Amino acid sequence: MPPERQRVTGNVNSFNILTNYNNIVNFNTEIDPEGREILQWLSPLEPQQRHQSVRTNPLDGIGNWVLETKKFRKWSGAEDGCAEQVLFCEGNPGVGKTYLR
Amino acid sequence: MIDRLYDQAGGKDIAVVGLYCDFLAQQEQTTSSMLGAMLKQLAIRRGIPEHIQQEFQKAKRVFGGQGLRLPDLVEIMKKAVAVLPRVFICIDGLDESTPKHRRELLESLREIVRVCANTRLFLTGRPHVGGEIMTCFGNVVRIPISPTPDDIRSYLEMRLESDTDPDVMDDELRADIMRVIPEKVSEM
Repeated sequence: MPPERQRVTGNVNSFNILTNYNNIVNFNTEIDPEGREILQWLSPLEPQQRHQSVRTNPLDGIGNWVLETKKFRKWSGAEDGCAEQVLFCEGNPGVGKTYLR
Repeated sequence: MIDRLYDQAGGKDIAVVGLYCDFLAQQEQTTSSMLGAMLKQLAIRRGIPEHIQQEFQKAKRVFGGQGLRLPDLVEIMKKAVAVLPRVFICIDGLDESTPKHRRELLESLREIVRVCANTRLFLTGRPHVGGEIMTCFGNVVRIPISPTPDDIRSYLEMRLESDTDPDVMDDELRADIMRVIPEKVSEM
């Protein structure tokens, strides 16, 4: 586990957990009470909580092959303006779409 | 998946926002709350952008803190996305949202994707929503997902480890399970 991940996991009670990104400096952005009010106003949903439970599930990592496919690599690595912007992974219930990583 | 996009981006300043649709949360998961949840993830990257704070103050004054309307959310989202080098939007289980919310969500995303060339959408769902996605976006990369024998083996190992009745298991039975089930499933 890279150090920034550990830092995220250890920081569960702060708003900083709400997203994870590469630049560690961003984790230290403080959100004041009004900021929290604004975030709550934007949406009551907290999809990050589900993300935590998915990434700690033993099934996480199933379907890794998808991320090695040419289609995926082309889509995720393409320059702006010259590629399809939308990728759709389709499968029946229970095939492990959620646990792709 | 979300983690993987980060890893792949290396040190580049990308943003990845994500959402899981859930049958059981259809009441809360309106188009606005779903879009708002993604905006929220963008908004906390470096402190809440000025334009969002202004919208909030405006809403507070005029409507006593009323929520944003969908067209306003789309506009704010476009602004928030435009200042970033690249934004990945991941939505899992699109088929689990109601048809009405799904249509609105896809249309909102189409508008964002159209204006912001730096946006990439990663969607998952059952095959039957593929038609709606194609109709909405036209140009879509489709990857059919079915479990590989390796995926099935990982799953079986996980289940065997959490067996509630380990006494009836022995090496031979375990070996049979690990051999026969992946074979049979792959033939399906």
